[in-house]
Amino acid sequence: MRPGSILLLLSAFGCGGRSEASTDAGGGTLRIPVINDPILNPVIAPDIGSVMVNKVLFAGLVRPDEHLRPTPDLATSWTTSPDGRTWTFQLRPGVTWHDGAAFGAVDVKFTFDQILDLATGSRLHSDFAAVDGVDVVDSLTVRFRLKAPFAPLLTLLGYNAGILPAHVLQGTRLSDATRFNRAAPIGTGPFKVERVTAGASVTLVRNPTYYGPAPAIARVVFKVVPDLNAQVAQLRAGELDLVTLEPANLGSVRNAPGVRVLQVPVVQHWYVGFNVQLPMFASPLVRRAFVYAVNREAIVKSVLMGYGDAPRGTIPVALGDWYDSTVAPVPYAPDSARLLLARAGWTAGPNGMLQDARGKPFAFELLVDKGNPTREQSALAVQQDLKKVGIDVTLRTMEFAALVRDRVLPGTFEANLIWWTTPGDPDQYAYYATGQDNNNVRWSNATADSLLALGRATLDPDRRRAVYHAFQRLERDDPPVLVLFYPREIQAVSARLSGLPALGIRDALRYAERLRLDQ
Amino acid sequence: MTRFVVQRLGHGLLVLLLVSVATFGIMQAAPGGPSLLADPKLSIAERAAIESRLGLDQPPVVQYGRWLARAVRGDLGTSFLYQTPTLATIGARVPGTLRLAGAALLLAVAAGVPLGIAGAARPGGLIDRAGTGLSIALMSVPVFWLGIVGILLFAVWLHVLPAGGSASDSGSPGAADALRHLVLPATVLAASLLAELLRYARSSTRAALGQPFVQVLRARGVAPGAVVWRHAARNALITVTSVIGLQLPRLVGGAAITETVFSWPGMGRLGVEAALARDYPLVMGVTMVVAAAVVAASLLVDVAQMFLDPRVRAA
Repeated sequence: MRPGSILLLLSAFGCGGRSEASTDAGGGTLRIPVINDPILNPVIAPDIGSVMVNKVLFAGLVRPDEHLRPTPDLATSWTTSPDGRTWTFQLRPGVTWHDGAAFGAVDVKFTFDQILDLATGSRLHSDFAAVDGVDVVDSLTVRFRLKAPFAPLLTLLGYNAGILPAHVLQGTRLSDATRFNRAAPIGTGPFKVERVTAGASVTLVRNPTYYGPAPAIARVVFKVVPDLNAQVAQLRAGELDLVTLEPANLGSVRNAPGVRVLQVPVVQHWYVGFNVQLPMFASPLVRRAFVYAVNREAIVKSVLMGYGDAPRGTIPVALGDWYDSTVAPVPYAPDSARLLLARAGWTAGPNGMLQDARGKPFAFELLVDKGNPTREQSALAVQQDLKKVGIDVTLRTMEFAALVRDRVLPGTFEANLIWWTTPGDPDQYAYYATGQDNNNVRWSNATADSLLALGRATLDPDRRRAVYHAFQRLERDDPPVLVLFYPREIQAVSARLSGLPALGIRDALRYAERLRLDQ
Repeated sequence: MTRFVVQRLGHGLLVLLLVSVATFGIMQAAPGGPSLLADPKLSIAERAAIESRLGLDQPPVVQYGRWLARAVRGDLGTSFLYQTPTLATIGARVPGTLRLAGAALLLAVAAGVPLGIAGAARPGGLIDRAGTGLSIALMSVPVFWLGIVGILLFAVWLHVLPAGGSASDSGSPGAADALRHLVLPATVLAASLLAELLRYARSSTRAALGQPFVQVLRARGVAPGAVVWRHAARNALITVTSVIGLQLPRLVGGAAITETVFSWPGMGRLGVEAALARDYPLVMGVTMVVAAAVVAASLLVDVAQMFLDPRVRAA
């Protein structure tokens, strides 16, 4: 065959090229990329792709509104005992599972029994470590017994805790329920699984018995498209409708016809963590100096292309009024940084670089994971800014898994650039209280410990807010980490799509029944 | 013949055993470890539970021994990433892989071999110069670039071909739909093999044309076309089949870039995903399946050459 005939062959099959959604009987098909075959079980799902699909398939007791406040979902109302240790939920009557069976209190108890049992493969155990147990009061009432008052409970119930069907999964270890997890999950959400093609797609179809408003679109297809450039190409070709992007991809969608670019603040803080156990990082003066020395506004502008917010502390602006906007942001002030470093004993040596009293230079290695342009460029900016105040930073890129397992968790790092994605609650006890599992930087501050413990246990919103505002002010004087920015999620969506709530995609998808596609 | 095949099968099993030891060793030595454990949010208790569930708390020698004991009974374990039986996970990707590899092979052979032979028949002629130019172009262009340009050109601008996937996601896609999805990835995957086959077909046909038997044929008045296409080309095919045999595993297991760019559900991408996620059972599974394919392909090539070349048959 000659090259000419290959082109002929191409055009012979090129008769189509029309939108693939045209065959739906009303409502259209919404197509969203995932990078991997998802695990269709919210309790054991390990990755964001699975979480997205599960949000559409499985409802939880509550779900967050656009201000991230928990609102009724499978639970219609709830009460808290005076000591804050017993929560009673009234469940929605008349809800059925995708297979037609009735939903009830036994399902909620079953789900939380699984979550609390580590042997099931539960990924939600630490979210609910405060829960002692769940009791069935009657067929539509459940009671959560807590070990101690735990204010984040409601938010966490609406975060990843989709409710599983007891009648399907009883007696099977969740991680062994391959058919359920991969091909035939049963939930209560607005869409149910129609077809799963390994390595290619998961097709969901409208659930006619959904308890909420009837879904407007007919189908949701999660397509496995592992490469971000390919996702963008498919969006532009009209084969995908909703893609979340890195700032580096913005150029290729900004003026693309039929594509809108949206942005929403998400509950993340990206930071440089310093191993506080190392003497060079032990003094709060040094960490305060870093905050002055790094031009974070510039990083937001140049690396994030403006799709982010300059930070005030570890509590991100997406958390609404938990975030204290009255705390003055730390400005970019290299002179103040040098002054603080001098107070901590670091003075300029003959070559202009900082050194301690014995002439040892201030130098360390900054780890960043390989392949993400946003993080690599941010690390570069940190390196350059710190060099301006006389600190010698060596960058080292590593694969993410190796960085986490071999360096961050064992504490064998000097500094690393990483991020936390947290639920829509200000509780950061696990990350910044002394000795906690996620406190990788080994920061320890007695006042912070009591504030974070108090914040967890305080149910009254006004008093709780005061606690977290105090924590933010404390972070100015003793920064646990160098927060670089709060990113905004960049959503590139088909212009045909409407009804998307202003939430990060994982929460937005729990409102899949409200989405619409113009035909 | 039978003795030869049995002997080669024995060698093959030994190769597979060595490959399994090497793969296991490399994986254990690689930094990072299973991505299931790389979530910094996991508590220490959660991490320990996952390790014990997956058997990762055992020393590597015990882990390998358990794997081997199951493997000889035909059980390649359960994928960490997919939580499905490894063989079934790979099996689900086999049809897609074979379709893509088969189409690419067909395209490469159908276009590359005749072009190479035709070029050799008239060196420096129009066909020869066009073919040589094409092969140099195809060999020097990176696969992902070719893929992205193909998508931009045919899917984003011209809207004549789909940008990715192996079938449309709505309705009931038929054969025409499957073919439309196959065109771009198969062409891209075929590109470098086509170039290589063209070069080999050309050079070995030219070599054959210089041999004494061709002069004899010409002296006996055999038509020039028949000399090239019937006699010289047959000799050239011996080299070409060896090249195909060597390239088959690359088509089956090494099409990861093409499969990623085109979101094609194939084994190459599965293997890369497994390696990146340190999904030990799946990495072992994909490696063993691909290694078995290589062993089988080289055996097939040897048998094919026996039929093509009487000298090999005699030896």
